[in-house]
Amino acid sequence: MRKRTLHRGLTAFWWLTLAFLYLPLAVVVLYSFNSANSSAHFVDFSLRWYHRLLGNEEILSAFGNSLVLAITSSVIALVVGCVFGYGMYRHRHRKLGWLIVLIYLPIVLPDIVFGISEMAFFVQIHDWTGLLQPGLSTMIIAHVTFQIPFVALIVYSRFVGLDPTLFEAAKDLYATPVKRVVHFMLPTIKPALISAFFLSFTLSVDDFVISFFTAGPESATLPIYIWGAIKKGVSPEINAIAALMIAAVAIAAILSLAFSRRRPT
Amino acid sequence: MSETMTAETADHPGVRPAADEQDRASRKASSIEMQGLHKRFGRDTVALDGVDLDIRAGEFFTLLGPSGCGKTTLLRILAGLEEPDAGSLVVGGKNVTEVPPHRRSVNTVFQSYALFPHLSVRENLAFGLKMRGLPAAERNAKVDEIAEFIKLGDLVDRRVDQLSGGQRQRIALARALVCEPDVLLLDEPLSALDAGLRSQLQVELLRVQKRLGMTFVFVTHDQDEAMVMSDRIAVLNGGNIQQVGAPRDVYERPMNAFVARFMGHDNLYEISARQGDRLTTALGTLTAEDAGDGELLLIRPETLDLLPGEVAGDNHLTATVAERLYRGSHAEFRLEIGDTTLQATVNNRGRHLPEVGETVTVVVAPEDLVTLSE
Repeated sequence: MRKRTLHRGLTAFWWLTLAFLYLPLAVVVLYSFNSANSSAHFVDFSLRWYHRLLGNEEILSAFGNSLVLAITSSVIALVVGCVFGYGMYRHRHRKLGWLIVLIYLPIVLPDIVFGISEMAFFVQIHDWTGLLQPGLSTMIIAHVTFQIPFVALIVYSRFVGLDPTLFEAAKDLYATPVKRVVHFMLPTIKPALISAFFLSFTLSVDDFVISFFTAGPESATLPIYIWGAIKKGVSPEINAIAALMIAAVAIAAILSLAFSRRRPT
Repeated sequence: MSETMTAETADHPGVRPAADEQDRASRKASSIEMQGLHKRFGRDTVALDGVDLDIRAGEFFTLLGPSGCGKTTLLRILAGLEEPDAGSLVVGGKNVTEVPPHRRSVNTVFQSYALFPHLSVRENLAFGLKMRGLPAAERNAKVDEIAEFIKLGDLVDRRVDQLSGGQRQRIALARALVCEPDVLLLDEPLSALDAGLRSQLQVELLRVQKRLGMTFVFVTHDQDEAMVMSDRIAVLNGGNIQQVGAPRDVYERPMNAFVARFMGHDNLYEISARQGDRLTTALGTLTAEDAGDGELLLIRPETLDLLPGEVAGDNHLTATVAERLYRGSHAEFRLEIGDTTLQATVNNRGRHLPEVGETVTVVVAPEDLVTLSE
């Protein structure tokens, strides 16, 4: 009897927690479909705010910036992080444990510290060389820096999960170093790479703080646009953007999870 | 075997069960000469301490020893996965000491099988051929051929994660054989399998080796397996070769106490006095025929006869039965002679099997006594 009560209590707690997590999101999504210009009273179902989005040049440009930033930074981070992750794997037995700690650090560092440091760094470089004018390029560099550790760790853990003799089997079966990469390593870690790409993508789309500090006047992303718009009050238009972002990030996160689970035995 | 296949073999040096075996042996098999191989890991671990070893072409050769004896290091040096600190390695008349593994015509069957998880069984089998740049049509033909030879049946079309341990083992063997290497290396390939499957695959492996006439170098820590499979065995310990010989030599005439113990012998006695062929040990004085001049006497348990009661005679020892293990086909006895114990194995041929506590007479045949050094 007592066991069943406990079980019911835990189930109720589970639903409460989920409600706590998802109700605010649900409210935003709900009001994005509101026909009235209100975030308090739901009148009727309508797509008018979504139509309004399509006509708003500023939003479309922010959307484009977010997409270019997310895709470019994720691709760069994937290449660099993959090489880094393989290096961590190859040297895991040597006394290089501190390297792994070093790569964790950017993950736990507060975004604001990261953002300020990046900004200061770019300003410095710009003063000396005239390069790196704040804009999309500085944002891409900044995003790549916080995406690399995630990619490297995903790739590293995939390699660690492999039978180490596979590397030797590839050598034994006449694969030159280049062929080992093309025909063995890359195909073997492909699910991890896809997973890492989608994770980087969501991290980039999500990011506000670091983008804010490294952006230029022309390179506002969706989160930066929302932040600016919200100072004039929450409009249902913002709800519609938020709902679309929730959808995009959710899809990327689910894809990332799906590919990280798909590991051949 | 059909005539068409034999004819086809003449211009295809492929792995074909129909090939004339003599012809194949002369073409494929390579000898191996190792000289002064040294290998050290870190500062203190000596894996190989100067190994000289010749392996003949077409031989089933086994490296036998306990873990850490250097047998796996030696195999990895043959594969090119490890480079020796000193010494030279010649395979098929070519010095390959510094040739990287992907340029050696040597293939390995790994203990963990190491099948590529991202590839199908067919792609696994074709991997080596593909890396060598063989066109797809030829790869497929060779894979089909080897699949037939190893009797893989429909396994070729499965995924790797759908295979059992025994099936993986055979795929790993086929994947190495299809490359037609000069030498095939096998790193404890049967150790992960259960006893029944293991002896079945032992027979299969032997059949494959004899039909291909390829040089096989096999690593194991299991002396029974080594004796069943090998033309010759090298027993290793502490990075040194202790003895090289045919299974009967190594088992019946071990060169030293380590080899004797490793081959499963317990009846070793120090010789305290020697007068011609009369050897005195803690058991008493025994007459030996051609025992050599070692300082230890080896008595193999299966050479002993047990008679009930006390019987006087030359090479007759009176003993008490301390323990009896009945094993159906035979029985193992632990006998006590004074403070010394002696193991005896007696075939169960409907004779009287003494009980614990019974007094028996042990009959030692002079021609079965061997001496060896410490």
